Amino acid sequence: MLEHAGPQIFNGLVLGAFYAIVAIGLSLIMNLTGTINMAHGSFMTLAGYLAFTMIARGTNFWFAFVAAPIIAVLVAVIVERTLIRPLYGRDPVYSLLLTFGLSLIAEEVFHVIWGANTLPFAPPASLSGTLALGFMNFPVYRLFIVVVLVLAFAALALFLYYTRFGLRLRAAVQDTEMIAALGTNTQLLYTINFGLGILLAGIAGVLAVGLLGLNPTTGNTLLMPAFVTVIIGGMGSLYGSIVGGILIGLATSLMTLYVPAASEVVIYVLMAIVLTIRPRGLFGEEGLFG
Amino acid sequence: MLVAIVLLALEPFFAPYIKIDVTIVSAALLFAIAAMSANLLLGYTGLPPFGNAAFFGLGAYGCGLSLKYLNVHFITATLFGMLAALLGALIVAPFLVRRRGIYFGLLSIAFGQVFYFIAYRFTSVTGGEDGMSVPRPYLVFSSFTLKETAFYYLSLVVFVISLLAFKLIVQSPFGRTLVAIRQNELRVRYLGLDSNRFVFVAILISAGFAGLSGALSAMLNGFIAPLSLDWHQSGDFVLATILGGSGTVWGPLIGSLIYEIGRDIISTITPYWQIFLGALFVACVLGFPRGILGTILARVGAAPLSNEPEEANWTQSPAIAADHRG
Amino acid sequence: MDNALLLEARDVSKYFGGVHACDGVSIGVRAGSIHAVIGPNGAGKTTFFNALSGFYYPDRGQVFFGGEEITRMPNWRRIERGMSRTFQTPSIFPELTLHDNVMLGVRSKAGLAFRARPPSREQEAALEARVDELLGFVNLTRFKERPVAELSHGSQRLCEIAMSLSTEPRLVLLDEPMAGLAESETERVITVIRGLHDRLGLTVLFVEHNMRVVLGLAEQITVFDRGRILAEGTPSEIAANEAVRDAYLGKEVLDHV
Repeated sequence: MLEHAGPQIFNGLVLGAFYAIVAIGLSLIMNLTGTINMAHGSFMTLAGYLAFTMIARGTNFWFAFVAAPIIAVLVAVIVERTLIRPLYGRDPVYSLLLTFGLSLIAEEVFHVIWGANTLPFAPPASLSGTLALGFMNFPVYRLFIVVVLVLAFAALALFLYYTRFGLRLRAAVQDTEMIAALGTNTQLLYTINFGLGILLAGIAGVLAVGLLGLNPTTGNTLLMPAFVTVIIGGMGSLYGSIVGGILIGLATSLMTLYVPAASEVVIYVLMAIVLTIRPRGLFGEEGLFG
Repeated sequence: MLVAIVLLALEPFFAPYIKIDVTIVSAALLFAIAAMSANLLLGYTGLPPFGNAAFFGLGAYGCGLSLKYLNVHFITATLFGMLAALLGALIVAPFLVRRRGIYFGLLSIAFGQVFYFIAYRFTSVTGGEDGMSVPRPYLVFSSFTLKETAFYYLSLVVFVISLLAFKLIVQSPFGRTLVAIRQNELRVRYLGLDSNRFVFVAILISAGFAGLSGALSAMLNGFIAPLSLDWHQSGDFVLATILGGSGTVWGPLIGSLIYEIGRDIISTITPYWQIFLGALFVACVLGFPRGILGTILARVGAAPLSNEPEEANWTQSPAIAADHRG
Repeated sequence: MDNALLLEARDVSKYFGGVHACDGVSIGVRAGSIHAVIGPNGAGKTTFFNALSGFYYPDRGQVFFGGEEITRMPNWRRIERGMSRTFQTPSIFPELTLHDNVMLGVRSKAGLAFRARPPSREQEAALEARVDELLGFVNLTRFKERPVAELSHGSQRLCEIAMSLSTEPRLVLLDEPMAGLAESETERVITVIRGLHDRLGLTVLFVEHNMRVVLGLAEQITVFDRGRILAEGTPSEIAANEAVRDAYLGKEVLDHV
């Protein structure tokens, strides 16, 4: 059994990285505007479908990989401006319900355009096969995923902590009024922040479909675990999302190996434990969402 | 109120004329009971109940299993279903009761998902993904199975009883305290009341309603599948409540009628009724946060007890402020 | 037992991060007295009130009420024991009428809040009589059926005071009762607060910035500064206290004592 643990641990890390990046996107959106984005998974799926269509029409994988998330972000910006903006300042339940409605629409629209069946989405030849590193063989595509996601985290961290805009974003999370008083266009900030969250989702989406297959609900299967990651890691902590994501990614994947029947449920059990011992999450800040 | 009941009672006779099948209205009535369960928590206590589908499903499976293995009378089976839902609530409520706002919502989704996956995986008992068939109830003294019309009247009776019970609860001192909790939980505690106790009981009552709805729905459809426990189903209950008017007594019925009948009508035109449902949701949240009934009541001047769109309210229960207050 | 301490805080401390909001505060409030807590903003007065009333628990120290230790008692139970509190911003039920606002506390005291069955006719009559009594005490009877959202700030403040009386407390904590009030409204509230002590025999502990009010109402004053107690005594003692004068009392105010 144990020799299987190695690949499962790696798989768990890959899964965890996915959860983390989706969780970070959710977190960014939640922290700044209190918007609970239940349509986050839909944006992921959208990016996946866009990439699929582009590739089917002849563009190469790399172009689609870059273009699909960007288009998803454009859609997101439109959605944010028209539908989500009116809800700022209201109880988060409303954004939850509205984005839930959007996810219903999205799922059906995907169904209409691309059909309900899982579409084949194979990673390009350059990324298939396995690579022998040390004592294990690693599937190249999964290595690619890990590399991309780690780069994404790094880029995000650089953006948030070393650029002026990132500073404004972080400041706005602390105190939106003050930032507005200092002259920042807060509405623009909200839009860009939302776009940033969706960009991360889009990247995750394109990567995920190569792994999980592409159907109208692919993104949604990552959504709940991502929320659990946010809760476990602590709302308001991006670092917590990474740790939380890896934690539940590993838990899920190891559970699939040893006790498959409990593999889906283990994340909720973990969440219940964390919440009982440390209500604000492992790295959560006090007072933010309680 | 009587008008509504009379209208509903005569529905089977209208049915051929307005092309709305009796079964649909039965489903709507039962859905309304589940929507009432969501309404109690959302509209009156101010907590977003996104896990109620789990109680619905527990009610359904409880009923179905007891019919299958214990061969009981259908009323007993329904009670078994409600009992199952209540047991589920007893397990989950202690965790939920310490949370408010969106944390409550996400946690309730999470627990709901646990039950969903249990139903999915426990194939030997529940039939797994394919679901489980549930026999139609039959009258004790005869061996007729209840046909559509008879079942409709059964549903109507159960609905009316549920509505009266709901009305009784929200207008009782207990219910009024729930409304107060929604508006200012801290003050409720500073009036000497342990708000957590009220929330706990509210969760149990909500589970009871949801379980009742689940049990009867299972018998109506002859079937129950794990998907009925998924949080999307919970979302539908909340949708119906908000559509009709959360915080009002009749809102859930109105919302449920729109949901079920709307779905029925639209699906004859296009299989993609979900787009319209989603669009309706979006429009409702943006334009009619008070729901149809709520908006009407507000115009007329008699604002219902509690359903203003609120300012952001994501505080944790003041009960355990000591743990985390910064 | 008139001079017994109804409320006692011993070495109460509360820290937030590195900030000592409240540091080793010890106070004794005599039963039947009107006791004021003053001090500059951020001196820790509200933090102290919060620890006393169970909004949160202190990190160190103990709180005693009526001889019983209540340091970690849940806030709602302190109310049952006879404590009651108002907040800087009136903490009331914004969507209900004045009547319903006060009724909840009355029902709570009568033990009828956690009930599905509505009260009997006699019980209901008794409850209503009590509501009328409370509204009469704060002189708001004419607004009984009005939504509190329509009332003036001062009236909302009085509503809150009526609510805090509905649980039949022995001690009333008032957190800046004059905050945000116009001059005319201030008089009404002062009269009511004095009535709490003179007519109802309650012990009152209040935080206030308005020195004229404090010196006029209080029998005993505790001065806070940066989380600690700076001084304590009667109004004349405090007015004469050098440290207090230096800290922040203007000369003109004191000359009017």
